[in-house]
Amino acid sequence: MKSLSLYEDKQSFLNGLTPGCKAFYIIAALVIPAMLGNKLISIGFIVLSILLLTQSKVIRRTLPILAVSGFVLITVIIIQGLFRAGNETVVLDLGPVAFYKEGLIFAADIAINVLNIIFAFCVLVLTTKPSDIIESMVSRGFSPRIGYVFVSLFQLIPQMTERMSTITDAQRSRGMETEGSLLIRMKAFIPLISPVIMSSFIDTKERAIALEVRGFNSKEKKSFLNVFHANAASRPIYWILLIATVASVVWKLVMMFA
Amino acid sequence: MKNKNNNSPWSLKINTASLVLIPAAVGINYIGKLFAGMLKLPLWLDSIGTCLAAALAGPVVGAISGAINNIIYGVTMDPISTVYAFSQAGIGIVVGLMAYYGALKSLKGTLLTGIFGGAAAVVISTPLNIIFWGGTTGNLWGDLAYAAAVAKHFPLWQASTIDEIIVDIPDKIVVLLLVAALFKGLPKSLMSLYQSNHRIESLD
Repeated sequence: MKSLSLYEDKQSFLNGLTPGCKAFYIIAALVIPAMLGNKLISIGFIVLSILLLTQSKVIRRTLPILAVSGFVLITVIIIQGLFRAGNETVVLDLGPVAFYKEGLIFAADIAINVLNIIFAFCVLVLTTKPSDIIESMVSRGFSPRIGYVFVSLFQLIPQMTERMSTITDAQRSRGMETEGSLLIRMKAFIPLISPVIMSSFIDTKERAIALEVRGFNSKEKKSFLNVFHANAASRPIYWILLIATVASVVWKLVMMFA
Repeated sequence: MKNKNNNSPWSLKINTASLVLIPAAVGINYIGKLFAGMLKLPLWLDSIGTCLAAALAGPVVGAISGAINNIIYGVTMDPISTVYAFSQAGIGIVVGLMAYYGALKSLKGTLLTGIFGGAAAVVISTPLNIIFWGGTTGNLWGDLAYAAAVAKHFPLWQASTIDEIIVDIPDKIVVLLLVAALFKGLPKSLMSLYQSNHRIESLD
């Protein structure tokens, strides 16, 4: 079964950091450049994230994620470069249309911001087991019931995706057409999606009973089966990120009132 | 309609059946999006689960389903979609409330729910689009309208709102029509599981 999670254990430095530490890295990478209002700091964070991901041997796995947003970024560059209000300086003249400097700079700002978010997220997502993230949240007081919802999804979605191909084959064998005009394809959607919905609702009934029989609603304090072995650097890195983030917010406030 | 329920739709007490409805809803969203992609439909159809959960178990479960849906997208495919958790939660709340007051029982109500749900998504998504993408959505038709509006010197936020309306409202109307049809077809024994706040009459 294809796993939903992008995590891979490479025994690397990032694998050994606590999930909380890496989550705080995302916050720092987003808050510090926003507070200081400097794009160079965003670029610095992008470079740092890429170095960290390369060191953890997971940089290749960022490619599919980049492809999703990369496509949208290309449309942003085209639209803003051609049409942004305040476009004056022509950079590239293509006859009927022209790319303008102001629009392209605006699009570059957006691209830097988006790439920073993507790479910072990858530092957490590609190197941390989803259940470790949830366990660390639950141990800090996050609701274990909602925690269960998250963990169960990583099993449920691959199961449902597998069921999807079975349903498609079954409906095709009954003569359903999945190709052709838009109307035919629209009509095909209903017989495809409704068996998934009905069966997953009926499953929820059984799952609810199974959970309650095992004391899911018990108010006792929860214990943890797995112990996370964090490396020694986690704590100091966490504090450095925390202090840097708070310092940037304080700096912004001082600049606002000074 | 209203006096059928004892508790408010905002009750935060979620029973186990409603709780396990949340992963099912997120799964349905996910599969809907995959099927829509497989059939090359021009709509997302990725909020069927959120709307169904909201209709069955109320706005709170709908909002949680919507938010978790986008967080899962965020950690598995597209980090930026995490911030749109707010839009999906907004859709869940609107659809949950409309269904609570019986809107899904008529065609007119269903269409209105689709428009309101889409409007909630537009109101929440447009500022996010402007912050993160400069106002575009990545959808071909929406972005063409955006480009046309900007070229005609509309202000950025108006162009971006038009873009988002084209992307969201037709999609939500189709989703709600599907949801209302499915909602009617679901067995009663299943529905009663989630609607824990209905009055239970004592026979004594």
